[in-house]
Amino acid sequence: MPRERITKKLLVEPAAVATGDIAFNLIVFFLVCASTQPDTGRRQDMPRSEQTKQQETKTQNIELALTRTRTVVSLNGDPVKTGELPARLRRLLEGKRRPEDRVVVVKSKPDVPYDHWIATTTLIQDLGASITIQREEERTIVVGQ
Amino acid sequence: MKIKRRAMKADVPSVAMGDIAFNLLIFFVILAKAQDDSHLQWQPAQAKQLEGIASSKVSVMIDNKNKLHLNGQEIGQAQLAKGIADVLGSAPQGERTVLLKVHKDATAMYYEAVIEAISEAGGDLVHILEEKR
Repeated sequence: MPRERITKKLLVEPAAVATGDIAFNLIVFFLVCASTQPDTGRRQDMPRSEQTKQQETKTQNIELALTRTRTVVSLNGDPVKTGELPARLRRLLEGKRRPEDRVVVVKSKPDVPYDHWIATTTLIQDLGASITIQREEERTIVVGQ
Repeated sequence: MKIKRRAMKADVPSVAMGDIAFNLLIFFVILAKAQDDSHLQWQPAQAKQLEGIASSKVSVMIDNKNKLHLNGQEIGQAQLAKGIADVLGSAPQGERTVLLKVHKDATAMYYEAVIEAISEAGGDLVHILEEKR
């Protein structure tokens, strides 16, 4: 009777001790990756306040007033529906070639939310105009004692 | 009869070198993000046609509680222009980018003053926004 030859095969397994370390390192790696994602945004060129004052004396700029109401804005004093604003602005900017003429002065009430402001200013930028902010000045008046 | 002593080898296990290098890499990546403001809560406004913005030395944020932060540290409105100018130093044009992160519901009372301060400090303003779908 032939004797069967028994061959012993060694079971080779990766070291299970390192699994925890590997998992931890992977978590840290993906956390870092997620937190270093590049931001997206828009550049906005703002003339410095001193320059703006000089321009205002030379040319009559377009004035856009914003309030908390998102549906209506005031363009050169006239109430305009937000939907009609691009066409109205385009008409006003027509024929203005010099960059200093293509300045829109944006006046906002203190309660104008940022998303409304950014939507309007990006629209102005897309039409090739530049923006200047005109803030309401706060003055403390001391009444006589 | 003399029994020879075996010389014991005491090496640093080289198996761990990869792990050490990897952890150091992560450590320095985190460290490089000096102006970490990930602990602050805010929701960006949405807009179309946005561009990818590389990281910058200066980041200003107005969080959801209208608190102002410069590079992750809370700061007063009066100190902001000087704070930005100090960080920017004498950096040449093109390297004076200031990232502005404003919570979408923040009001003009807060963000207009910040925009003015960035302009005063000679920073190149970049609004951080979310792509509108």
